[in-house]
Amino acid sequence: MTSVKEYKCPSCGAGLDFDPPSQKWKCHYCFNEYEKSQFDKFDEEEILNEDMPELDSYICNSCGAELIADNTTSATFCIYCKSPAVIKSRFSGRFKPKSVIPFRLTKEQAKETYQKWIKKRIFAPKDFKLKEEVDKVTGVYAPFWLFDCKADGFISGEATKVHSWQRGDYKYTQTKYYSVVRRGNARYKKIPVDASKKMDDKYMHLIEPFDYNDIKDFSMKYMSGFMAEKYDVEAADASAILKDRVKDYMSERLRGTVNGYSSYTTNSRQVNISEIEQCYSMLPVYLLVNKYKDKSHIFMVNGQTGKVAGDTPLCLPKQILFAVVVFILVWIIGVFGGALLV
Amino acid sequence: MYKKTSVSLLAVLFSIFILCIAQIGVYAENSNNVIDYLNYLTDSEITNLQADIDSIKNTYGLDVVIVITDNTDGKSSRDFADDFFDYNGYGIGRDYSGLLMLINMQDREVWISTSGEAIDIFTNSRISTMEDNIIGPLSNAKYYNACRTFISDVKSYANAGVPRGQYRVESDMTYADKVSRTIKSLPVYIVALIISVGSTLVLSFSSKGKVTINSSTYEENGSFVLSERRDDYIRESTVKTKIERSSGGSQKSSTHTSSSGRTHGGGGKKF
Repeated sequence: MTSVKEYKCPSCGAGLDFDPPSQKWKCHYCFNEYEKSQFDKFDEEEILNEDMPELDSYICNSCGAELIADNTTSATFCIYCKSPAVIKSRFSGRFKPKSVIPFRLTKEQAKETYQKWIKKRIFAPKDFKLKEEVDKVTGVYAPFWLFDCKADGFISGEATKVHSWQRGDYKYTQTKYYSVVRRGNARYKKIPVDASKKMDDKYMHLIEPFDYNDIKDFSMKYMSGFMAEKYDVEAADASAILKDRVKDYMSERLRGTVNGYSSYTTNSRQVNISEIEQCYSMLPVYLLVNKYKDKSHIFMVNGQTGKVAGDTPLCLPKQILFAVVVFILVWIIGVFGGALLV
Repeated sequence: MYKKTSVSLLAVLFSIFILCIAQIGVYAENSNNVIDYLNYLTDSEITNLQADIDSIKNTYGLDVVIVITDNTDGKSSRDFADDFFDYNGYGIGRDYSGLLMLINMQDREVWISTSGEAIDIFTNSRISTMEDNIIGPLSNAKYYNACRTFISDVKSYANAGVPRGQYRVESDMTYADKVSRTIKSLPVYIVALIISVGSTLVLSFSSKGKVTINSSTYEENGSFVLSERRDDYIRESTVKTKIERSSGGSQKSSTHTSSSGRTHGGGGKKF
């Protein structure tokens, strides 16, 4: 049994990649397309429930060259022959994902998205914008913990109802004070928490939500033609982030049931989270890391929905110019328009 | 040396003090306050009116002028009244406080022109009321009665002083004047600064991306159960505040600039 899996076209033997628009496997040589079920007949799904030993190095099945891979890289390409290669040990045993959302966006679409996005970054330095780094956009299956849980929440606070009326020369303002208590519970499904230290949690959060209607049972076949990472954040550590999020969701939900008041302030809140279950999943992300003056700037697209997050360096002269132009415009409107109204 | 400078400094201060006193003490040059070109008033009536006006001058520091004419040299009532006041040395104090009633028989119009402190005391609505009081006797050719009514109204309003909330509005400012005034006003600069800095900061920091998930994104449909809902009334308090009534336009004094460059207020009515 080899430690690296390479999917081949059943008809011609060339490398077979997953094709996002058709959601099928497509051979770039003979243009044959295969549904998951057809593909499974030729290449049976391997059961990788047992942990496989990590090797010091992995060899490309097509050309025999050594694969260049980080400790967490689980799917990649051979840098010599460009064949897609999936490292089986990194999808086996405890690293075996339960589900996957396949890519919907092609690399070309991701590039277009980047170009549209970078055009709108008015404060990005010109040389950063013109950098032809767009070919480095890579489709990555990012490891996520999808958590299901139950939350029991309680909030209490003080609310007011303000009523005012006039009598004679006097205005009366009546403020009624109420003590408000809300208790409730809810179930949460598939809250994604980034399971890779390499990926920035903040940006991963910004490209949410994913559409779970597309979620599939995991198969290494989906990895073919993309990069993939395995998790290096344990579920127990990720659940701390989950708990913070659920606490906020639950209190916000309870807060939403306090209505009909002029004001409300929460004095205490308590949320208990139980029945936490996690499911290890691979979610599709297009990633571009641009280096500029020794700093990395991330650009990310949700590989399923196309939602964008990212940052660019800021060019101070451009910001100042913008501020000055806005100042002058507002000043002109204020002076000449204001003079009309006075 | 030190002594000399302090002496000369004292001298300068003293002369400034004298000048200030002199400024305050300057009374109108012209002590002839009732000018009747048409001889509608008898000499004794003029003497009576002049005596009343003198007492107003001394008590309230307001010059009061009455002009009756049928020749305004082709000027409008407003310009004639303003110029008559300015060029005949009327007005008390540094700001030439005083007012002039012109009975213009050519146009059958009465015009009251105010100057200095009188602009603030005699607001548009007060002038309008005074003129309504005068129009009655004037229509009936009761000129002396009209003048007496005018004098007594001046006294009562001068006694009441500047109404609360009074403000001046320059009525015939050109657009260029208004522009030059808004250029000098600080709020325009502050607002422009806040908007420019604010929009730059918002654009700089909002470019990363937006959070579009909310508390219900991952909530299982229909799983939310509100098990306890309590709203208990605790107490209440009522605050009583007096309503400050600013009766809008009635406190307004419209002003304009006369040919001499001084500021006048006033208004007129036909009879």
